[in-house]
Amino acid sequence: MFIKRIFTWWNGATFGALLTIAQRGRYVGEDDFGSKYYEAKTIRDGDAGRRRRWVIYKGYAEPSKVPAEWHGWLHHTFVEPPTVAPLKVRAFETEHLPNLTGTRFAWRPRGSLTRGGHRPAATGDYEAWKPE
Amino acid sequence: MPIAKVNGVEIEFEPGMTVLQVAELAGEEIPRFCYHERLSIAGNCRMCLVEVKPGPPKPQASCALPAADKQEIFTNTPMVKKAREGVMEFLLINHPLDCPICDQGGECDLQDEAMGYGRDDSRYVENKRAVEEKFMGPLIKTTMTRCIQCTRCVRFATEIAGVSDLGLIGRGEDAEITTYLEQAVASELSGNLADICPVGALTHKPWAFNYRPWELKKTESVDVMDALGSAIRVDARGPEVMRILPRVNEAINEEWLADKSRYAVDGLMRQRLDRPYVRVGGKLVEATWAQAFAAVAGKIKATAPDRIGVIAGDLSAAEEMKAALDLFTALGVKSIDCRQDGSALHPKWGRESYLFNSTIQGIEDADAIMLIGTNPRIEAPLVNARIRKRWIRGDVLVGVVGEQADLTFPYTYLGAGVDSLKRFVDHGPIQKEKPIFILGAGAFARPDGAAILAMAAEAAGSMGLVKDGWNGFNVLHTAASRVGGLDMGFVPAEGGKTALQMVEKGGADVLFLLGADEIDLGQTDAFVIYMGSHGDAGAHRADVVLPGAAYTEKPGLYVNTEGRTQMAERAIFPKGEAKEDWTILRALSDELGARLPYDTIEQLRDKLITDHPTFGQIDYAPGHASAAAFDLMAVGEKGETTDAPFVSPVKDFYLTNPIARASRTMAECSSLHAGASKMAAE
Repeated sequence: MFIKRIFTWWNGATFGALLTIAQRGRYVGEDDFGSKYYEAKTIRDGDAGRRRRWVIYKGYAEPSKVPAEWHGWLHHTFVEPPTVAPLKVRAFETEHLPNLTGTRFAWRPRGSLTRGGHRPAATGDYEAWKPE
Repeated sequence: MPIAKVNGVEIEFEPGMTVLQVAELAGEEIPRFCYHERLSIAGNCRMCLVEVKPGPPKPQASCALPAADKQEIFTNTPMVKKAREGVMEFLLINHPLDCPICDQGGECDLQDEAMGYGRDDSRYVENKRAVEEKFMGPLIKTTMTRCIQCTRCVRFATEIAGVSDLGLIGRGEDAEITTYLEQAVASELSGNLADICPVGALTHKPWAFNYRPWELKKTESVDVMDALGSAIRVDARGPEVMRILPRVNEAINEEWLADKSRYAVDGLMRQRLDRPYVRVGGKLVEATWAQAFAAVAGKIKATAPDRIGVIAGDLSAAEEMKAALDLFTALGVKSIDCRQDGSALHPKWGRESYLFNSTIQGIEDADAIMLIGTNPRIEAPLVNARIRKRWIRGDVLVGVVGEQADLTFPYTYLGAGVDSLKRFVDHGPIQKEKPIFILGAGAFARPDGAAILAMAAEAAGSMGLVKDGWNGFNVLHTAASRVGGLDMGFVPAEGGKTALQMVEKGGADVLFLLGADEIDLGQTDAFVIYMGSHGDAGAHRADVVLPGAAYTEKPGLYVNTEGRTQMAERAIFPKGEAKEDWTILRALSDELGARLPYDTIEQLRDKLITDHPTFGQIDYAPGHASAAAFDLMAVGEKGETTDAPFVSPVKDFYLTNPIARASRTMAECSSLHAGASKMAAE
């Protein structure tokens, strides 16, 4: 586990990130999945004139896990974090579905052979002769 | 010779040339829409304007103006440019701006010339005119609003095709091209209408919206749908042949192409044999190549060589026939035949006895033409077009012995069969310089064919058809492979059986068919091995099916009816597990323990050319070169003849081979023309 933390970036934040966040960051809040959000205390050159914002995932680093309200704050769409100005929950919002790419539930387009579908006709298709 | 000045450069020209031709001679390109080298001059598009001195101080239409001695021609002055821009603006007033959805886009004369002479905007604010669509059958798609009234199609239909189905009616803005009876254009050359149309008014209906010309890989090849070997260009996208267009070959097809050669391409994608099959328990089941070869080799090894028969079909290239000939001759097989139509032609009477000796171009020199047992309109439409071209020039006798069909030109009907031919046997020399006979399969592909051949040769001798510098004894074949087969001796050896004897009941125990589908397999009780590209009669009857390549999928040598060897190129690859036919025979020879001595097609061709030097003379037709050595009296075998009339073996122009029979377009044409002829009869 410890070795994974040293050599990978997807099992929790890297040590460099933790160090930066500890030095510069201020804790802002936590979402339903337990990921923690931070904001820089100061604006430095190269920060595009705004405070940097970070997320430290709980467990596996998976960006699709960031909820919509925190995603908006993280990308500076919203000024205030959802802890201060929570978004209204709409009726059409659904539960978070993890990214299924690489699993057997991955999305297959229509016509994909793994989905058993019919591919639309294309150049080079030919009708083979069948006996009787 | 007279001399003219083109843009200040002096050029000599033949008397009678037009100003446009002289300018072309000097290397100046003149834009044109209505002018076409092979059609009469109309002079109605006015795009070819040039300035001429001496003459009136106004632009002249160069296509219709005879060039004169000491004339000065200017093709690039500001006056000429301005005049052409004016013409182009008038043409574009009523031409729709639908290039992005037009099938002609990318190969459109109007599009090209508009780049040089078009304005960037329109000064015309009124509505564009709209013209009703016309029905021109299953091959030609019309969008008559795009028409610029060049009348090339009208001239082609009346002059070359010889059907007066098209015409121009109305004047000024109301002028439009129309089919008089709103019926399919009744010509076997109708596809050329779309070729000569300079805009997108006439396009190819079967290929509509399927491709853009710049997407296609172009391969120059040779046609196999009839025995002429017309020059074609195979345009393919990926693994599919999208279209076939003619190439210019003055000796054979000029720049035209018959509809079957052009539109049977969709047959290349249907009914394809793409894996080997072996009959197990009365049913054909899929097999691997190894299983199929084991079945074939086991059967052939277990059978005495004199009970094995080999028949080559109509579309075979010389390579696979040579491989089959070498393989089965080595095994001791004698029953080998390439004449599945039962014709009596045989190489033992000399090469001239089965060639079109006057050459197709030579028809234009002929002054008396006798068609014997042939209907060239359906057997070889481009030969018919040549005869018509000769007839239009006048002073020619055309006689027909055989079917009284509509050949698009009038002729003297001489009779239906042998009796009429017999009258010419002691006719005596004819008072003509260059008379020709054209013998069709209707005369020699019958049981008494050898006797009829002898009779025709005797008549030819008596009438003086063969002399120094002229050989008018012509045989018109119906199959692309036939002359190649006869050249290499793909005929029964001493004691062997002919194709028709092989397929009789008990005629052979093993039959090996190289794409032979036009022979009746109903009686035979043999073990049938079929090698070919399409599932047709042969594959249905077969006990083992070996999938081969169609003519667009293999390089090959074909010898046309003139004896002209031509090389076809591969445009795409064979389908599925199919292989080039000669490689199948090469692999089979290993299984049979009689390995063929070639591993590449070059080695195979080397062997072929060493054994039969005529295959090395690419694009050479012997013509009258050996007329002096040709002994007409030795042709054929005198014998009893029946009085049955000569009937062309081609019943339906559109359905003569497996590829055409697999094509939906050809099926539609066939049913439409069958219906039309029925209607005409009523």
